[in-house]
Amino acid sequence: MTSESPLAIELVDVWKRFPGVVANAGATLSVKKGTIHAVLGENGAGKSTLMNILSGVYRPDEGQVRINGEQHWFHSPSDALASGIGMVHQEFRLVPSFTVAENIVLGASEKIIRRSLIEKEVEQIAQQFGLVIDPTRPVWQLSMGERQRVEILKTLWRKAQILILDEPTAVLTPAEADELGNVLRKIAEDGRTVVFISHKLHEVTAFCDEATVLRGGKTVASTLKVEEVNESDLAGLMVGSSPMISERPPYQEPGEAMLTIEGLGTLDDRFLPAVKNLNLTIKSGEIVGIAGVSGNGQREMAQAIAGLRPITSGKVTISGKDLTNAPPSERFTAGLGYVPEDRLGVGLAPRLTVTENAILRCYKSLRKSIFLVSEQAVNYCKEIIDRFGVRTGPIDEPIAGLSGGNLQRLLVGRELSGNPKVVLAAQPTRGLDVQGVKAIQDLLIDERAEGVAVLLISEDLDELLTLSDRLLVMHEGEIVKEFDPANAHRHEIGAAMAGKRDES
Amino acid sequence: MKRLVLVRREQSLRGGQPLSFLIGLVVALLAGILLLVASGHNPLEIYERLFNSSVGSSNAWAKTLNRAVPLGLAGLAVAVAGSMGLWNIGAEGQILAGAMMAAWIAQIGEGWASPLLIPLMLIASILGGALLASGPGIARAQIGVNEIITTLMLNEVALRLLQWLIHGPWKDPESRGFPLAPLLADEARLPKLFGRAHWGVIIAFLVIAFFGFIVSRTAWGYELKVAGSSGATARYAGISLNKKIITVMVLSGGIAGLAGGIELSGTSDRIVEGVSGGYGFAGIIVAALALMRPSGVAAVALIFGAVQVGGLSIQTLGVSSSVSTILQALILFGAIGAGVFNRYSLKSVKREKKGGST
Amino acid sequence: MNEASMIGMLSTTISFGALLYLACIGELISEKAGVLNLGVEGMMALGAVTGFLVALNTENPWLALLVAMIVTAAFASIHGIFTVVLGAEQVVSGLSLTFLGLGLSAFFGKSAVGNPPGAILSNVDWGPLSDIPWVGPILFQQSPMVYFAFLVGLLTSFLLTRTSIGLALRGAGESASTVDTAGHSVVKIRLAAVATGGALAGASGAYLTLSITTSWQDGAAAGRGWIAVALVIFGAWKPGRAAIGALLFGGLLALKTRLQTFGVDFSPILLSMIPYLLTIGVLIIISIRARHRPSASPAEIGKVYRREER
Repeated sequence: MTSESPLAIELVDVWKRFPGVVANAGATLSVKKGTIHAVLGENGAGKSTLMNILSGVYRPDEGQVRINGEQHWFHSPSDALASGIGMVHQEFRLVPSFTVAENIVLGASEKIIRRSLIEKEVEQIAQQFGLVIDPTRPVWQLSMGERQRVEILKTLWRKAQILILDEPTAVLTPAEADELGNVLRKIAEDGRTVVFISHKLHEVTAFCDEATVLRGGKTVASTLKVEEVNESDLAGLMVGSSPMISERPPYQEPGEAMLTIEGLGTLDDRFLPAVKNLNLTIKSGEIVGIAGVSGNGQREMAQAIAGLRPITSGKVTISGKDLTNAPPSERFTAGLGYVPEDRLGVGLAPRLTVTENAILRCYKSLRKSIFLVSEQAVNYCKEIIDRFGVRTGPIDEPIAGLSGGNLQRLLVGRELSGNPKVVLAAQPTRGLDVQGVKAIQDLLIDERAEGVAVLLISEDLDELLTLSDRLLVMHEGEIVKEFDPANAHRHEIGAAMAGKRDES
Repeated sequence: MKRLVLVRREQSLRGGQPLSFLIGLVVALLAGILLLVASGHNPLEIYERLFNSSVGSSNAWAKTLNRAVPLGLAGLAVAVAGSMGLWNIGAEGQILAGAMMAAWIAQIGEGWASPLLIPLMLIASILGGALLASGPGIARAQIGVNEIITTLMLNEVALRLLQWLIHGPWKDPESRGFPLAPLLADEARLPKLFGRAHWGVIIAFLVIAFFGFIVSRTAWGYELKVAGSSGATARYAGISLNKKIITVMVLSGGIAGLAGGIELSGTSDRIVEGVSGGYGFAGIIVAALALMRPSGVAAVALIFGAVQVGGLSIQTLGVSSSVSTILQALILFGAIGAGVFNRYSLKSVKREKKGGST
Repeated sequence: MNEASMIGMLSTTISFGALLYLACIGELISEKAGVLNLGVEGMMALGAVTGFLVALNTENPWLALLVAMIVTAAFASIHGIFTVVLGAEQVVSGLSLTFLGLGLSAFFGKSAVGNPPGAILSNVDWGPLSDIPWVGPILFQQSPMVYFAFLVGLLTSFLLTRTSIGLALRGAGESASTVDTAGHSVVKIRLAAVATGGALAGASGAYLTLSITTSWQDGAAAGRGWIAVALVIFGAWKPGRAAIGALLFGGLLALKTRLQTFGVDFSPILLSMIPYLLTIGVLIIISIRARHRPSASPAEIGKVYRREER
C-alpha cells in the first residue's frame, strides 16, 4: 500500500459457497472514497452475493472485508449499517402501507417517534441530494423511482458513508435513471462512496468513475477507469469465455417455418411497452438464440408467446395455426413446449409429487371419462424420468426435495415429451451445475436434430454461440441485430447488446 | 455457546404423518394422565372406562361410529376446500343450515313415507349447507374477500337463525312454553344399521370415499391440487381459478350440510341448537390431522369419535366431559409438534457472538 | 321506556363494550403483528375461570386479574410457539387453542360452578361525579375494568403509531422481511404480540367473572370471543374505530335483553345476528377498496416468516 488514504472498501479473496453452487470464488473489490464504482457481471456472476457479504446479509466463508482500512466482521445488516454501509436492494425493503417517514425510521434506535422532526430531517436530506419526496405520503402511492429514493434516503438518514445499489436502474424509466445518476454524483461529491451494481453498460459508462467486472464468482477485471474503456470491452469481459460444455451441432438445412411472430407487442408489469413490433421466424431443425442484457423484453416476449401475458399487437403462429389469443394449454396441444424462467412456482408446483408435476401438461389425455388413470400417469412420469435422466426420490413424494438440475430435467423433459414442434426455453441452464447444463443443452441439440424449432433465450453468450444456428440480439424490446454464431465477434455482439443497431 | 435450530430436511420423512398423529395421540393421553392425577382422579380407571365405552363393545362401537359421521363429513368438507388452499371455517354453521333445511322438509313432508322423506331431507340439507357456503365462495372468487372470516361469521348467523326458528316459527305449541321444535316423525328418522348405529355411517363412508376418489383420481381433483399448490402454475397449465373456488366452496358446504341432515335424522329427536355439536370446528382439526386428504379423514374422525364418546361416559366417574375436548386439542398440538420433525431436523449449532467490528 | 331503563341500557352498553373491546385490542395487537389467533373464545374462558378461582381462594380481585392475565398470556404463547416458531397453520392452531381453553376452563371450573364469588372488582368510586344525572350512572358507576379497557385502547393506539416498537410490530404484519432487514426479530415481535393478546383476552375473561356475571359456569364466554374477532375487522384494524364498534356491539348486546321492555316487537335473537352481518359487510367493503390500495388487513397475516439463506 502506498501512503494514500485507505480505500473505502476492500474485499479480499472472498469465497462464499451455497449448497451446490459456489457464488464467490475469490472475488476482490477495491473502491476509493468519494467515487461511484460499478460492479458489473451477468446474472449468476456473484455480484449480489458479494454485495450481500459487504452489507452483512451473508457471512463470507473465506476472505476479508475492510472498511476504511479496518477489518470488519458483519453479522447482520444492522451491524454493517452501524459501520456506515447501507444497501438498496433490488427488491425494495419497504412497507407499502407505511409513510415515507415511517419507513425511514423503521429499525432506528429512537423509542418514541417524533414524526414532524423526522419529516423535517428527511426533507432536509432530500433537498441536499435532489431526492424530491413528500415524507408524509404512504409508500404504496409512490412510483418505483420514488420508492427507490426512499430506500436511498433510508441509508442517508442513518448516516451511511457507503451506499450499495443493487441493479438500481432495473425498475426505472430512462429519464428516472438519468436523474438517479445525478443524485449519485451529488452523494459522491459529498465525500461518500457509491457501489453501483449493474449490467447496463451505457449507465456504467455514463455514471461511474471506476468499474470491477465479475464472472463466475471471480473478479476478472478490477478498478478499470471507466473513461479508458468502452462498452464493447466491458460486454466482452462480462460474458467472457467459459470452457465449452456441449459440442457445436453439425450444420443441417433448416426446414419449413414452425414459429412465426409478426409485429409482436406486449407490456411489462408496469404496463409500459416491453416488446415492440417484434418479428421472428424459426424453422424446423433450427435453434435461434436470443442474446441481450436482461430486462430488455426477453422475459415478456417469452411469456407472450407462451400465452401468459396478453399480446397487445401482432400475431403468433405455430406451424400455420394462429395462436395469438389461445390459452396456454391450447398452445401446448398445438406443439409449443415452454420452459419458463421460473422453474419452481410457475413451471412446477412445489407441493405436488413428481408424478403430479410430470403430467401437468397432458393430464387431460390421461383420462378415462373423468378419471385420471394412475398407472398411465405413473408410466408417463417414469418415461420422462428414464428418458431424461431425472434423479428423484420416490415419485409419489413432493418435488421440493429435488436438486435444481433434476427439477429442470423434469420440467424440460415434460415439455419435450409432448413431441413439440416448437420449444421455447427461457434461461434453461441458469443456476445449474456443469452436468445439469450439459444435459439440458444436449436435450436441445437432440430436439433440433429431430426437426424441432427451438427459441433459446439465455444470458450465457457461450451457450448461445455454441447452440444457435442464428443469434439475435434484443435491446429495449426490439431485435437490433442478427449474427451468424460461427463467424460472430464477441466484441460486435457486445456492441449490439449495448444498443448498437444493424447498419442495414 | 450452542443452540438448537431447525434445519429443513431435503426430503420429508416417508409415512411421517400417521406416525406424528400417533405421537400426538400418545402425548395427549400422557398429558391427560397428568391432568387427571393433578385433579385427584385415578387415570387408569378413567382411561379404562374411556376405552371400554367407546370401542369396548358393539354398543360402544355404534356410538363411536355415529359420532364419527358428522366429524368425518365436517372433516371432509374442510379437506375438500383445503386441497385447493381454501379455509372453510364455516362447517359448524353449514351443519346447522343443513339440519334446518332437513327439519323444514320433515315438517312439510309430514306423513310421507321414509323412502321419500329421508332422501328429500338429506338433499335439502346438502342444499342448505351449499347455500350458506356459496356466499363466501362467490365473495372470495369475485372480490377476494377472505373466506376464513366470512365463513366464521356465518356460523354465528346460522346459529342465531336456528335459535330464532326454535323460539318463534317452529316452536312446538305442545312444548309448554319451552323453546323447542316439534319432535321428528318416525318416518323422518334414519333406519338403524346395528344397535344404535344408523345408516348415516354408510352414507358418510360412501361420501368420504367418493370425494377421496374424486380428489385423488380425477382430472378435476388434480386441477384442484395444482391450484392449491401454486396459482401461477395453475395459470401456466391453463387452469382457471375463479369458477373452481366457487364450486369447491359449494361442495364443501354441501358436505357439511349433509352432516347436519344426517345428524338430525339419525341421532336427534328434534332440531336443537346443539345439533351441530361443535363438529364443524372439530372437523377442522380432523382435516388438519389428515393433512387435508379425504383418505385420512375417516380414520381421524373415528378416533375423535371414540374420544368424544369416551369423554361423555367418564362423567359418571365424576370427571368433567371436557377431558375429551382437552384431549382432542392436545392430539392436534402433539401431532403438529411431532410433524415438524417430518420436515425439519434439529441441529445444534454454535451461537455466533453479536457485535460489529473486531 | 323510562329513564331508569334507558340509563341501565347505556350503562350496560359501556360495560359490555369494554368487555369486548379488551379482547378485541388483544386480537388486534396479535393480528397487526401478523398472527391470526382464533383462540380468543378459549382464552377468554380460561381467563374467566382463572380469575374466578383465584378470587375464590385469595379473595383478592386484583391478584385474580393479574394471575388470569399471566396464565392466558402463557396459554396464548402455545399458539405463538406453534405458529411463529414451528410454522403451524394459524387457523388450525387457533381453533385448537379455543378447544383447549374451553376444555381446561370447564375442567378446572367444575368445582366452582354455583359458588358465590370470592371477591369482585367493585365499581370505582368517583365521588360526586357519580351523582351527576345520566352521566354519573353511565360513566362513573362502572367497574375499573371499563376504564382499564379504554385506557389500553388509547395506549395501544399510541404504541402502534408513535413508537418504534409499534412501528416494528405493524411492520412484522405488513412485510416481515423488511422488518427483519431493519434489524428487528420478527419471531420475538410476533411472540410478544400473541402473548399480549392472550393477556388482554384473559383480562376480558376475568372482567366477566369478577365484575359482570360474578359467577362461573361452563360456556361463560358465550361466543363473545368470536365477536371480539369480528370487532377487529369491523374496526378495520384500528383501535379507535374498534372502540366505536365495541360500543355499538355492546349496545346491541345490552339492547337484546331489553327489547321487550322498550316495547319493540323485534326478535332479540335476530338482533344479535347484526354484529356478524355488519362485519361481513365491512370486510366486503375493505376487500373492494383493497383493489386500489393496500388492504386495511395486515398484508402478511397468516404467513409464516422464515429467513433462509437460499
